[in-house]
Amino acid sequence: MTFKTSYLHLLVAFLFLATSCSSDDGITIDEEKPTITINYTDGFPQACQELTKGETYTFKAQVTDNRALAAYSLEIHHNFDHHTHDDQGEVCTLDPIKDAFNPMMFLENYTLEDAPTFYELNISITIPNDVDTGDYHCAYSVTDETGWQRRTSIDIKIVD
Amino acid sequence: MGFTQNALQIKGIVANANTLEPIEGAAIMANGLFSTSSVTGNFTLNNVKEGTYTLTISHVSYATKTLSIKSGTTEETYKIFLEEAATALDKIELNGKTKKRELKESPVVAQLVSEAFLSNNRENSLMQTLSKIPGVSTINIGSGQSKPVIRGLGFNRVSVIQNGVKHEAQQWGNDHGLEIDQYGIETIKIVKGPASLVYGSDAIAGVVDIQPNKIPLKDSFQGNVNLLGESNNDLLGVSVGLEARNDKWFYRGRLTYRDYADYKVPTDKISYENYIFELHDNNLRNTAGREANVSLSFGYTTDRITSETTLSNVNAKNGFFANAHGLEVRTSTIDYDSSNRDIDLPYHKVNHLKILNNTVINLEKHNLNIDLGFQNNQREEHSEPIPHGYMPTPPDSKERRFNKDTGTLNIKDAFQPMANHNIVAGLNLEFQDNKIGGWGFLIPEYTRFTIGAFAFDQYELNSDLHLLAGIRYDYGRVDSKAYFDWYPTTVNNTDGTSSEIYLQRAQDKTLNFGTLSASIGLSYLLNNTTVKINVGKSFRMPLANELASDGVNYHMYRYEKGNLNLDPEESYQIDVDIDHTTEMFSIGISPFVNFFENFIYLNPTSNYYETLQIYEYTQNKVFRAGGELRAQTTIGNNLQLNAASEYVYSRQNSGPKEGFTIPFSPPLSTLFSAQYQFKDLLFLKQPQLSADYRMTAAQNNIVPPEEKTDGYEVLNLTLLTQIQVFNLKSPLDLKFKLNNVLNTEYYNHTSFYRLIDVPEAGRNISIALTQQF
Repeated sequence: MTFKTSYLHLLVAFLFLATSCSSDDGITIDEEKPTITINYTDGFPQACQELTKGETYTFKAQVTDNRALAAYSLEIHHNFDHHTHDDQGEVCTLDPIKDAFNPMMFLENYTLEDAPTFYELNISITIPNDVDTGDYHCAYSVTDETGWQRRTSIDIKIVD
Repeated sequence: MGFTQNALQIKGIVANANTLEPIEGAAIMANGLFSTSSVTGNFTLNNVKEGTYTLTISHVSYATKTLSIKSGTTEETYKIFLEEAATALDKIELNGKTKKRELKESPVVAQLVSEAFLSNNRENSLMQTLSKIPGVSTINIGSGQSKPVIRGLGFNRVSVIQNGVKHEAQQWGNDHGLEIDQYGIETIKIVKGPASLVYGSDAIAGVVDIQPNKIPLKDSFQGNVNLLGESNNDLLGVSVGLEARNDKWFYRGRLTYRDYADYKVPTDKISYENYIFELHDNNLRNTAGREANVSLSFGYTTDRITSETTLSNVNAKNGFFANAHGLEVRTSTIDYDSSNRDIDLPYHKVNHLKILNNTVINLEKHNLNIDLGFQNNQREEHSEPIPHGYMPTPPDSKERRFNKDTGTLNIKDAFQPMANHNIVAGLNLEFQDNKIGGWGFLIPEYTRFTIGAFAFDQYELNSDLHLLAGIRYDYGRVDSKAYFDWYPTTVNNTDGTSSEIYLQRAQDKTLNFGTLSASIGLSYLLNNTTVKINVGKSFRMPLANELASDGVNYHMYRYEKGNLNLDPEESYQIDVDIDHTTEMFSIGISPFVNFFENFIYLNPTSNYYETLQIYEYTQNKVFRAGGELRAQTTIGNNLQLNAASEYVYSRQNSGPKEGFTIPFSPPLSTLFSAQYQFKDLLFLKQPQLSADYRMTAAQNNIVPPEEKTDGYEVLNLTLLTQIQVFNLKSPLDLKFKLNNVLNTEYYNHTSFYRLIDVPEAGRNISIALTQQF
């Protein structure tokens, strides 16, 4: 049994060594993801919302982070093939599956300069007159300084 | 059971006194009668007359045992336990050393895994079977596939060697497993530590070395049939192996086929972020698969030369969970729930062909090993074609195709220039040609050439003190080929206009690398205690994807960017292993401290590219420490208790994620197991019941984009027994296994599906039958 105890001591010593090497040297790591939401009065678009061709809309979402927000993006792509659905918990009625001819496509990235912890995204988009009408998918994403990301997506429709 | 006086038999079983594992090939002699023990340790002496017999049971690795028995009408099976020779004999000639003794004397911290361990613990994939060994874990992809992880490092940081040749596939990818048939393997050596010295690049964290099988005995013909059925994924598996030898020529062959349905998880819905996926009948939709393997070999053996040529092919097809491909949530018109056996999109298929020749030449003072190999790995990933970003709807389902040809030549010479010095010198050459296809781009085409030379000396200071020192140099060259998108992207020009451009994703580029690795170690044997210490430096050449990726990985919602300035990874490690084994108990500890000068890691940045987060390959300092603790004791003759713990601590000490751990860090985990050997019960011979209880702590040390994972406890039960049927000389081996007895819902931090919050497989009953003949 003496062997057992001496080995146990060795283990304890070794675990101590392992953890003591990890003692903090002033770095506190950020383990929190940013948040993103459209679930407030001005949030835009809302699930299943219909957007009319030719109109200009302001896309709005609120983002927060415990430390510093870094960048965000907005993407709009068609969902004519019903390949996905949104994460808003609402089921929208989709049009029949169809081929795309001239679908609307919007891909834009933005950086936040002054490392805010709260920000309201505010992106103005005019729906072109010549794009295909039908089901679309709108996806927001945001990163913080550490590299954590959060996404949210919304099913919408473009109508005449 | 009537028999005449002339037809008496003496039956017995030979087993290792320490491990209780059966001993194969022991010679049994009694008054002119002779027999050898089978794989299961069983032997039968025929033509026995009534009277007293003196049995001599001998085996090269064990101390010879003699006992007197009276033959008679009883049908008793004698149990003979042999002590390992290393503990029984102090002075033993070099060529008479057991593998275990050799392993003890080598300062390298390694572990041998026997065929009995593999068959008693067999899980759905080779690596899942090996994950019972402390310090070894896996990255699982569904129920049938897994990748090796040693002390928290996996992918290209662990080398898998088969018959002396490194297995070369698409190790860097995280959504498919190892293409090796887990049947028909006799011995695996696992090195838990940097082993570049002998194994070259990639063996930076360890090695899974599947050793060549023993040459069949002269004038023998034997084989075995394995049948496996599982309840969780309705698996049916069959594997048949044969081997034969006349005088000098020998042949082997094996066929394995496995077919399984979607596996079941102990939940009826998966909640991933804000999505909820309802599961039909607890089936993890579209995770069915199948695997067909064949291997054939022939060889020639004399005292002078042994040469064996092996041709093997592994072919597998597996579906991926249908509701989310990677992280991407998908809906589909495919009726996945109509059958749980079909494999719909998305799926992957792989074919791995291997042709190997292993030749050993015994010259007077030299022992020459030559391994020559050709491998072709073809992997395809198929998914429903949908448009992404600027990419229009692709024409077909073939998203990615990787085709790798690898040629290998290893030459190794072992010689004894003077007494007490064992020198091994060798040369490794490898050439790889990687081609790509499909509409999704991740890594460019490339060729890779590596050449390395090494030498090490194991110096016997005295019979209990051994020193090993070695040095190695490697040169490598990677040529990556240019790649352009097959569709145009709208690019905004500075003057406000926009153009449609076929973007270049990879450039023609040649990169050269040279690295030195070295290792020094000491092994000291003191009575029942073995102490080993090893200090080594290992390396890994950067991969083409780490150097030259420049593509969007839509399923992971990220844009992966390579870095042509990456240096080969260099790692320094101190390993210690202390083992104390007595008849009553055994205890061991193997701590390590490891420092990476420049660990390569795919770092999620804060920036975007076409609305996808940019992940960039970066290099920074990493500190790691941890180890394994194991204890074993035998209570009485029948009960054996085991406990084994593993722990790894990792921290990035520089770079953008300073202070964070590294990806896929396994949590602290302990496996308690108990084995009880029952007396024969009716027709059940040697029933053995074992219980494995794994306790795993939560993993709260994470790095973006990982999620913390809660701890868990899971219980597995196994019953092993034998039945004498078919009048064959070996009994039928039966294994009943009950995995996840309580149907616990738990998450494995290093599982591929962990990312989308899919729990591990639920309760599983498996029945395995093995018949030797």
